[in-house]
Amino acid sequence: MAAPVLAVLLVVVTGLGATALQSLGLMPLTGAPRLSFAAYADEHGELLTATGLSLLIAAGSTALAAAVGLASAVAAMSSPRARRMLTGLVAATVPVPHLVGAASVGLLLADGGLLSRWLGASPETWPSLVAGRWPTAVVLEYAWKESAFIALVVTATLATRLADYHETAALLGAGPWARLRHVTLPLAAPALGFASAITFVYTLGSYEVAWLLGPAYPEPLPVMAYRLFTSTDLAARPEAMALAMTTTALAGAAALAALALVRRTAPWR
Amino acid sequence: MTRTRRALGALLLILLLAWFLTPLLPLVLWAGAESWPGTSRLPQRWGLGNVTSVFASQGGAAVLRSLTLGTAVAALATPAGAVAARALALREVRWPRLAAGLLFAPVALPVFAMVMGLNVVLLRLHVPGFLGIVLVLVVAALPYTTFLMRAAYAAYDVAFEDEARTLGASPGAVRWRVRLPLLAPALVGAAFLAFLVGWSDYIVTLLLGGGRYVTLPILVASAASGTGNEPTVAALSLVAIAAPAVLLIVAGLLSRRLTPKRRRTAERTGPALSSPLLVEGAA
Repeated sequence: MAAPVLAVLLVVVTGLGATALQSLGLMPLTGAPRLSFAAYADEHGELLTATGLSLLIAAGSTALAAAVGLASAVAAMSSPRARRMLTGLVAATVPVPHLVGAASVGLLLADGGLLSRWLGASPETWPSLVAGRWPTAVVLEYAWKESAFIALVVTATLATRLADYHETAALLGAGPWARLRHVTLPLAAPALGFASAITFVYTLGSYEVAWLLGPAYPEPLPVMAYRLFTSTDLAARPEAMALAMTTTALAGAAALAALALVRRTAPWR
Repeated sequence: MTRTRRALGALLLILLLAWFLTPLLPLVLWAGAESWPGTSRLPQRWGLGNVTSVFASQGGAAVLRSLTLGTAVAALATPAGAVAARALALREVRWPRLAAGLLFAPVALPVFAMVMGLNVVLLRLHVPGFLGIVLVLVVAALPYTTFLMRAAYAAYDVAFEDEARTLGASPGAVRWRVRLPLLAPALVGAAFLAFLVGWSDYIVTLLLGGGRYVTLPILVASAASGTGNEPTVAALSLVAIAAPAVLLIVAGLLSRRLTPKRRRTAERTGPALSSPLLVEGAA
């Protein structure tokens, strides 16, 4: 037990600690340490823009993924054949790396991509889904991969409990819509909330999809943080760290809020 | 009434089929395209040239590096997760909530933020890049392996161990001949998830490897960020999907074999891999 906890402590606490110190100028690459909040001052409003975009991407992806994931889980309950088919689809999607998903979605949605070829659209009329003003392709990629994850979690929960309740509800005269509303959805809600929370914090802190499919400006928090981190201007380091700390604070707050909401549904307490 | 409902159900299934499969379609088409001018809807000439050329160039070495990374992460994160899960399950931890919270923190908090700070620390301590990458990815995989093993321990009866001990089994015999066989299916699932974390990682390798440790995802990213490389991107991506897919099938077969027959027919549960957290690591 000691070894795993130590490893986590080393990476999480040391890592975030060093990030925090560097964001405050207390661990400079050169020169003497001096406490400064300049990196958080956000004079040009870039930190705020990046935060807004990150939250938009995370919320949009999570909402879409939750809707499709829930629909998939409900559809899987309709018949054994539907369940086999959807289980196979989900199992095929879940192990695909996000980076590969992003590369493929790029090949699908870019101008000159598969969809524009099939629809016979010219590059001028094709909407800029990839690297356009709105993070459409980014949200679609996240929603695609994460909907499979959510479907997996919700199907697993429903599968163990749904049949008995449904039978009882049907015997008591409940129609299909009443069963969906009063039996299936309440049973699915805790697992749906849990999986959605994981999706939200993951998409908030993930780098490669937004980097590959998003525009050069505006950038979400992780993309901007990485650009400043690798900038030749060493003075940009504290700003990169401040962006990383902002992401951490948002993810931590979201995780705590979700934990409070779905506390009772955790597999153990 | 029932007919409209059935039609609606079928429509939903078709839509879901399209939703899950369409994003992977370009990979198959582009990887097999020897020639595909922008004006035609399908490739004009098909062939395996794109995929074979992945291994002819630096792709072979990158695949090997990714396999090494995935295997190293699985080899460390699986037993570590099992140990942590056992301690949590048998309530051998002083502060169980704190320990569980810590072990799950890597899922809740962004890994890139930890790695940015850790980078300088590891450099000052002269930790080799590869070791740093493995350490971070093991920590990133721990929540998944711990969760899976914790779920397995919930269905595990420690009384078997006591019984074996009463019958005179040594601690080693209890571990290898009682505990391991009973937990084997879950261990296979946990190892697969941990492998995925190492196999799919991009940002940790990029930040700590400093461009010197070229794995398959690094190649995919550099090809995908350029223009006009569609066949290369697709071929590299297909290879990146193929290895986990093969492992998934092997793991499925293995955990089925490892599950005692009696339990299999009695419970009719799926293989260990159908567990909820099969995932993100994929994250």
